[in-house]
Amino acid sequence: MGFLEKSNWVVLVVGVPTLLVYVALVVPQVLGKPMAEVSWVQPMIFAIAGFIVANVLGNVVAAASNPAEADKEDQRDREIDHFGERVGNWLIIAGSCAALVLAMTRADHFWIANAIYFGGLAGALLSSVTKIAAYHGPFQKW
Amino acid sequence: MVKPTLVTNSIRSLRFATGEMTQADLADRVGVTRQTIIAIEQGRYSPTLEMAFRIARVFRVPLEKAFQYSDEHG
Repeated sequence: MGFLEKSNWVVLVVGVPTLLVYVALVVPQVLGKPMAEVSWVQPMIFAIAGFIVANVLGNVVAAASNPAEADKEDQRDREIDHFGERVGNWLIIAGSCAALVLAMTRADHFWIANAIYFGGLAGALLSSVTKIAAYHGPFQKW
Repeated sequence: MVKPTLVTNSIRSLRFATGEMTQADLADRVGVTRQTIIAIEQGRYSPTLEMAFRIARVFRVPLEKAFQYSDEHG
């Protein structure tokens, strides 16, 4: 497995648990408390920061496991990367549009922030899943 | 993305005919990753024209000897 494929696995391995921890911390509050009392800012900051830090550490470990391959990238890697990013961007755009609509309708900040957070994270996860699938299946640009 | 390629290749037999060259050796000489050579050999990826020429040049054969285009479905 090449470094770039490992890097996409890191996004999944790190992204899914941070998302689950955030959901486990916030959803019970949303269901049991008035919205004004829900503590979501700190969990979201920790989830985002945790995702970034764990992602960096995961990439360092992936690079250290095979240093000779760590900086290798070719045409196929670039094509797969562009394709995966394009697919993942749809969810980021969807999250941004949802946030826009929520802001226009004067929804609570909680919903606006979460629309952006879930759109961004779901986009990153979909992008990685798409790239991993492209690495294993047929991938033709032309 | 999942459209199967009609481009076939003889890279595997060319490697064996060239002193059992490994996929890693070929990858180094072409300037791509070993995973890309594996994907090309298995017909999961069609290389760019430039990459195809570089592969053929490693084996010192014409492009058509390394890559073939099947027009069965076209």
